[in-house]
Order: sequence, then C-alpha cells, then structure tokens
Amino acid sequence: MSEQTLITLKDLSVSFDGAPAVKNISLTVSAGRVLALVGESGSGKSVTARSLLGLSGGQVSASELTICGRDARNLTDSDWQKIRGNTISMILQDALMALDPLRPVGREIGDGLKEHSSLSKAQRVQRVHEVLASVNMPDPELRAKQRSTELSGGMRQRALIAQALAGNPQVVIADEATTALDSQLTALVLAQLRALKEQGRGVLMISHDLAQVAHLADEIAVMRHGEIVESGPTAQVLNHPEHEYTRQLLQAVPSGVPRFAPLSIISAPRPSAPERQTPTGPLALSATNLSKSFGKHVAVEQVSFDLPQGKTLGLVGESGSGKTTTARMVLGLQKPDSGTVNLLGERFAPLHEPQRKQLREHMGAIYQNPLGSFDPRYSVGQLLTDALSGGKSKRDQSYSQQVDQLLEQVQLSSKLRSRSPRELSGGQRQRLAIARALAPKPSVLVLDEPVSALDVSIQATVLDLLDQIQLETGTSYLFISHDLSVIEHMSDYVAVMHQGKIIEQGATASIFGSPQEDYTRKLLAAMPRL
Amino acid sequence: MGTIAWAGRKIGGALVVLWLVATAIFIAIRLIPGDPAEAIMGGPGSQASAEALAAARAEYALDQPVFTQYLLYLGKLVTLDFGTSYSLKEPVTKVMGEVLPNTLWLSLLALALAWLLALCFAAAASNSGRFGSWLGSLLEIIAAAVPHFWLGAVLIMLFSSALGWFPAVDNGSAQGLVLPVLTLALPLAGFLTQLMRDSLSEALGSQFALAARARGESRLTLFWRHGLRHAALPALNLTGWAFSSLLSGAVVVEAIFARPGLGRSLLSAVLARDIPMVTGIALFSALVYIVVMALAEGLERIINPAGEQR
Amino acid sequence: MSRSAKIFSAIVILLWLVMALAPGLLAPGDPLAINPAQAFQKPGLAHFFGTDESGRDIYTRVIHGAGDSLAIGLAATALGMGLAIVLGTVAALSPRWLDEVILRVLEALYAIPSLLMALLIIAFTGPGVGPAIVAVGLSTAPGYARLVRSQIRSLKNSEMLEATTVLGHSSWLKVRNHLIPNALKPLMALVTLGIGQAVIWAAALSFLGLGTAPPAPEWGAMLSAGRVYLHLAWWMSLFPGLAIVAVAVSATVIGRALGGKVKSL
Repeated sequence: MSEQTLITLKDLSVSFDGAPAVKNISLTVSAGRVLALVGESGSGKSVTARSLLGLSGGQVSASELTICGRDARNLTDSDWQKIRGNTISMILQDALMALDPLRPVGREIGDGLKEHSSLSKAQRVQRVHEVLASVNMPDPELRAKQRSTELSGGMRQRALIAQALAGNPQVVIADEATTALDSQLTALVLAQLRALKEQGRGVLMISHDLAQVAHLADEIAVMRHGEIVESGPTAQVLNHPEHEYTRQLLQAVPSGVPRFAPLSIISAPRPSAPERQTPTGPLALSATNLSKSFGKHVAVEQVSFDLPQGKTLGLVGESGSGKTTTARMVLGLQKPDSGTVNLLGERFAPLHEPQRKQLREHMGAIYQNPLGSFDPRYSVGQLLTDALSGGKSKRDQSYSQQVDQLLEQVQLSSKLRSRSPRELSGGQRQRLAIARALAPKPSVLVLDEPVSALDVSIQATVLDLLDQIQLETGTSYLFISHDLSVIEHMSDYVAVMHQGKIIEQGATASIFGSPQEDYTRKLLAAMPRL
Repeated sequence: MGTIAWAGRKIGGALVVLWLVATAIFIAIRLIPGDPAEAIMGGPGSQASAEALAAARAEYALDQPVFTQYLLYLGKLVTLDFGTSYSLKEPVTKVMGEVLPNTLWLSLLALALAWLLALCFAAAASNSGRFGSWLGSLLEIIAAAVPHFWLGAVLIMLFSSALGWFPAVDNGSAQGLVLPVLTLALPLAGFLTQLMRDSLSEALGSQFALAARARGESRLTLFWRHGLRHAALPALNLTGWAFSSLLSGAVVVEAIFARPGLGRSLLSAVLARDIPMVTGIALFSALVYIVVMALAEGLERIINPAGEQR
Repeated sequence: MSRSAKIFSAIVILLWLVMALAPGLLAPGDPLAINPAQAFQKPGLAHFFGTDESGRDIYTRVIHGAGDSLAIGLAATALGMGLAIVLGTVAALSPRWLDEVILRVLEALYAIPSLLMALLIIAFTGPGVGPAIVAVGLSTAPGYARLVRSQIRSLKNSEMLEATTVLGHSSWLKVRNHLIPNALKPLMALVTLGIGQAVIWAAALSFLGLGTAPPAPEWGAMLSAGRVYLHLAWWMSLFPGLAIVAVAVSATVIGRALGGKVKSL
C-alpha cells in the first residue's frame, strides 16, 4: 500500500487565555491508515483534533501544519471553510447531539455539499442518497427525509458518519465516536471506520479507551496533560508499553481481567479471591416473574433472577432492553404489574413504602449520574450526615467520625467535606455516591450503569473500589451495564436482557465461554477487546 | 400522534377550557351578594328600574332553578348569544363584531413587529462582544419592564408633541397606527429577545453546530440553517401567552390613543358595570387565546414534528 | 448569585425600603400640599421633577408614592402567590385525576388575559384599592400556580428524591429536607419577578381609573392625571413612570440573579 502523507503536524501548541492545553505535539496521518490518539478527558486530544479543522478556539502555534499539501498555519476562517468537509471532516461523539434535531438528516448531509460544490439540487439529493447507501443505511431515500430523533440508534450513527463523508474528504477525524455506545453500535461505527480506511482515507481516531482502538489503529499515540507520552505502531504500544501511563491505561481495560484482579494501581492490600466465603443463609435478592408495561409498550416481561449473598449478578443488555425498569422495580421505585422481589428472604416489592421500612436500610442504589441524585444545596459532609442520620439532620456533629470513615472507605480525602459535589470530578462524585449508599450498611447495592459516564482510567479505580468494598463488607451487587467487558470483570453471575426478557443467565464463565443464544453470541462478538 | 388525532384532542381541550371559563363566570355572577339581577344591571348603586330588573330576570331566567339557569346560559353561549349590553342596549355579539377588527389588527401588527425586533436583536447579540451583550440584556430588561401606559405617553411626547411625526390619536390613517403598535410591541419584543437569545446561544454552542462548522458551513449559514429554528421554537411556544398579553395591553393602548376597539369597549363596560358585555369579551378573548395557542402549536409541529407533545 | 448582583440587590432593596417606610428622609415636603401659584413648573432646582396642575411637587409625590405603589404590589403578589402555592402544591402532590382537574381549571383561568381578568373582577366588585389588589392577585395566580405545580412535580419525580427514598427517609423528612427548600429558591425568584409585574398591573388599574383615586400620590394615579396634560407638562407623566420602570427593572434584575427565568412570567 502506498503511504501518502495527508497531514503533517509538528510542534503544535494550543492555549486558552494563556493556559496551555496542548504542548508541542507532532503527528502524521497517512492515506489508508488509522492513527489513534488515546488519553483521558482533559488530556488535550479533542483540542488537537479541532485544531486540525481550525476550530479549536484557542491560540494555536505549530512549526508545521500541512493538510493535503497545503500549509494551514495561517489560514483565514473562510480558507478553512473550503477545506472543512471536503478535505478533512469530523465525526462527533453523540449522534443525538451532533445532528440538528430540527432538520432532516438528508439536509444535514447535503449542507456540506451546498458549501463546496456546484452540484444542482437534484445532483445533491442524488449524492446524499449515495453517501447514505455507502454507510449501509437501509432505505436511503426515506431516511434522508427523517430527523435524527425519528431514527433508530444504528441509523442515527450511520447518518452522523454520512454527513462527515458527503464532501468525500481525504481525512476523517472520529472524536470519541464510539464512546457511550452499546457494543453493537460500537461495532457498527468501528466497521464503518474500517471501511473508510480501506477506501484509502486517513483516519484520526480519538478515544479514552485503548480497547476500542486496538483492532483498528495502525499507530497509537498516548496523550496526557497536553503531551504525547508515547507513540508507535499498535502492536508495539500494546505489547511493549514503555511509559508508565500507557501501562496504566492498558491495565484499566477490564476485558479478560480475572475477577478481583486490580485494574488500577491500588494502595491497600486486599484479601485474595479464594478467601471469599461461600454464601450461607437466604438469597440476598431474588426477583420472580417481574413484568411491567407502559401503555402498549412491554418494558419488562417475566424477569426472574437470584443473587446470593456477597456475590455480584451482572445484568447486561443494550439501551432500551428493560434493564433500568428492572432496577427500579427491584428498588421499589416502580410498582411491578406482576411478580415479586424478595430481599434477604423477605418480601420487598410490591409493598407499600411504610411496610418495607425495616428492609429499606438493606438496599442501596448507585446511579449513572450521581450529581442528579444529590440535593444541590448540600455539601459532601452534609450529604453523608443526612444519609447516616436517616434524614433527621445534615449538621449533627456526632456523626462526624462516621462521615470520615465513609470518606476513607471510598478513598476520598476528608478535606472534601465542606465542598459542594459540583466541585468534584466525575470519579470523585461516583465515590461520594458509593459512600452515601454505604451509610446504612446495606446488604444489596443496585448499581445502574455506575461507570458508563467515566473514562476508562477512572472507571478502573471505581471498579477496584467496588471490588474492595465487596471483599471487606460482603455486600451483594446487582450490577447493571451495557458494557460487556465491565460485566465480565465484575460479575459472578450474568443475566443477558433483550427486549424486556432475560434470554440467558448463568455463571459468568459459562455465559462468556459458551453462550447458548445467538443474541448473546452476537453481543460477545461485538465486544471490543485488547 | 397523527395530525387528526392531535387536532381532535386540541378541539376537545379547547371546548373543555371554554366551558370552564363560562362556568367560572356563571358562578361568579351568583357569588356576588345581593340580587343577581341587580348585579347584572350594574350593582346596587345603579338604581335600575323595576322593569329593567324584571327584564334581566327574564333574560337570565333567574326565576328558574339554578341548574336550569345554568343550562339555559350554556345553551345561549353555544349559539354565540352573549346577551344584550345594558349600557349600549345592543347585542354584545354585534358590538364586539364592530370593534374586533381594530383590536385584532393592532395586536397582530404588534406581534409581528415584536417578533421581527426580537429576531434582529437576538441575532445581533449573538455576534457581539461582552460589553455589547451586557448592554443588550440591560436594554431587554428595561424594554420588558416598561408599562404600556407609560411607554405610550412617552412616545406621544416624543413623536407627537415634540417632533410631530405621528398623530397622537387615531385618525383612521396608517400613520395613526404607528405609535399604538410600537407601544404594544416594544415590551413584548424585550421578553421575546431574552428568550431567543438564550436558546440561540445554546444552539450555536451545541455539538450539532460544531459538526456543521466541521463540514464547512460558515457562521452565517449556521445561523440561518440552525440557529433561527432553535431560537424561534421557545418563543413560538409562548405565542399564546404573548397574544393574551397583547390583548391586555390593548385595553391600555386603546385608552391612551383613543382608538375604538375591544379593550376600550371592555373598559367602558367595566366602568358602567355592564356584566353581559364584560363576560362576552372575556369569553371571546379566552377563545382567541385558545385558537392562537393551537395555531402556534401547529407551527411548532411543522418545525419540530418529533418534538414532545404537551 | 454573583457578588456584584448581591451588592446591587442589597442597595436597591434598601433604597425602596427607605422610600416606602420613611419617605420624609428623601423628600421632606408634603405630597398633597397645593400651591396653585406654582402650577406646571418645569423641572428645576426648586422642583426637581416639576409641579403638577395644582402646584404639587412631583418629586415629593413620586417618593411618597413608593409606599402605596409597593404595598399594593406586595399585597397583590402575596395574594396571588399564596393562592398559587396552595393550588400548585395540591395539584402536584395529588393523584393524577385531581391533578388533571386542577390543571384544566388553571388553564381555563390562564386563557383570560391578566388585565381582562382583573377588569372582570372589578366589574363585579366596583373600583377601589382593595378590589385592585384582589384583581391583580387573582389574575396572576393561575400563571404562577402552573409554574409552582410543574416545579414541584419535577422535583417530586427527581432522582434526588428517589435517592432519599432508597435511603429510607420518611415522606415527611423528604418533603421537609428536600422538596420544600429546593422548591423555595425558584419561588423566591418568581416572587421577586412577580412583584415588579404586580406593581405595573396595579398602576395600570389606577391609570385606567379603577384603582387608587387621583389626589393620592400613587404612581399609576399620577400618570392618569398627567395624561390630560401630556402636551403641556410632559414631566407629570415622565417621572412617575420612570419610578415604575425602576421598580420593575430592579425586580427583574434581582429575580434573574436569584435564578429566575424570563419564561416564568
């Protein structure tokens, strides 16, 4: 394959009001090759990508920035406009956000053509249909007339890719294009990016997750604090990482990592797995034939599962499969149409709230977005005091020691007590949520997508913390996620949900080793691994 | 939801609202202490003649049981019979019909002007610096806070007394409309600009705006293709409210500029305590509000067919 | 709330309070004192804002008018907001059918433009200060009630409240610790914005001759009197109106600093 260099970037620095975001970065993107830029949020990778489109919004300097043979260092905005879309284009993260919800996707795709080409209206429509067909959009003529909100998740992603391809650009930047997608959609986007590469385009892929890029990238560059700390061919970076931070990122990928093996550098020693006691006594949690419909839509149908004490049951499925409705029924927040939930052998749902008051302290919950579950007026310390006192007080000093213990348990500094949760980072917020859920010393924690909003490296520390807590306290987890690799690492048992039903469940090793259902096999095949 | 089902729901909802308004007015008339016939004739102070009271009793069937009265009252409303104005001695419907076009024209022109001003200011604000946008938001707040009755007076002082450009009172010409329309439109424009600026800046800072820039759209096309729609949507949402605030304003503006209209008729009806006239106008403006709301929602459905239905 | 907004609000509120409670400090004269020889004086050093047709000093009258105008506005807001809070809260916390019924009634009342509703009420009660307060209060209540309802309803269904359910807090504690305090803040903003509007509406009624009657130094009434002499003595209309605008603007600025949205009115 001839390797024509499309983008040469040397010593790029970007700063915002004097604060440097990117420092002396160099990279090349070649035709038919995929370069992956990997790092956690705030590392400067998105700023780098936007500088290549002249959209960084900061002060940019570089000793060389050549885009398809053209020096792009001193381009005016209208010069940039001529390049954007037909020489270089970008696929953004969330198709729902990145396509205008008020306009048909066909128009969105055609807009770029309007700017760049002298095509007639009919030719443009023709081209839009071609592009949509090229990303395997079913019924391109029909879909072009629909708005992104009317499309299914997969079609929306295809439309998003199509709008970046309309002008037939030589370079495509994919900025976190697979982040927060469930595994089938991730696989779809990765396949499309692979197709771009095979068409001879240069692809710059940006992600926080090494596993997402491992199979597609030809080269990987690892970014941290605005600098590239390591770069090289994919195999070399993955198999012989030289920089400490690269090793950290690699360790953070949960797929294939045995249960309780640490994903991050952990300070405290932990009991080894075999020392875990075999459960005795009643099941921590058991759901029997739970069903729930909203109008005509059946959200959950005949769902049953058991969770032994001290173990983790992973509930996995794509978005819309009924996981969250199941969680809400288990938590007693939604009354099931039929079926029951037992907690520690006693009836928990359906019951009226006062009747299960005694059992409440045994059940805790963690949400994907912890900030939404905190009272915005409360500080960290007040949130925990409130939880410890059962809501009776947020200031009672007699809980002070317990507050410190909780903070220590989730490895947060007690200096954060007077802070507002809004001032904390994503990882810290989730730790705080865990600390609060632990306050009544629950036997069961329901975790609904607890790490889905976090970077892989932060996710690793939170997962390690959850492991640690389970080993220390014997708390049982109902762990809900769309991410198979997280489920595999965290669960003793797995239940696969699809269209409101549990289609397959069993021990983690058997589900992941020898899946019986086609759907499970499809999910596993789509799972990104290192 | 299909368009027909949607329209059916809207009409059903509108009928319920109209029925509730009518019922509330019926109850209010009965709640006034003393003889309801006397209340209809303008309260105890009006010293209505015995014949007039008898006429009122007959008209409102006050000798019948309350429920029968209520049904008769509703029956009349259904046939658009709001009764006879006691101060003008003419059917309420006829009086309203005569003055209605004046008020509607005034309000519609003001609505259009307010929208135009708001769009221009919102667009200008999205392209201005920090000081510009600070100044803009101050102007909006002041515009929105100015009461019609004072703004009208100030405009008359400026453009009529001092400069002599436009007449201060209605003389039937197009120039006579300028000051009343401005008086009505400016405060509304202040409100709408605040709304539009918020949603415009949100749209222009969004991911889809970035995506549009990345595929080569200029700032200008971004504004036309994406910004405008998103700016218009919340303001459209408030059109019903806007129109009803214009009708409120019309009462004052018609008084200041001595224009015949629904508001002025209402004011003189209130001063004369002409209950049939007052209830007729109130019911009618509720109807207008509902119709305008439905139209605005229809427009919203065109701009955003997948939007959440309220 | 930013620091500058806090300082601004404090100064403005203090100023209005002084004007309302101790107008003599700023304007020692008698707002009702007639001096026909001094009628229609232009604004100047002797009379900052000029004099009216009876030679009364307009500056003194504007300052002394703050008490009445603000009191009417406050009373009307208190009435309207009180009703709105009760209705909105009941609707938000009651079962679906009752919520639906209350919502429909509110919608029906909201369909009548505010000033028309106020006029409707005055048509029944006759003009006066008391009726004006009732009219403005009642006519603004439906709009506020709808907002209170949606505010409380979204809080009630928030993840925040669900999280405390899961923690086992009793219903009463949830309402006391989270629902009321979190609903209160936006309400404060709404009340502040509402006062400005109520002052305008009440003045509008006086202007139309349905609220406070003329010799009293109330801003709307002063404007109503000035209207006759618009071509002759512009200052009679300008300054009372500026006072109303100043109240409405400061209420808006403070309300927005408290987090109030324009949409809310």
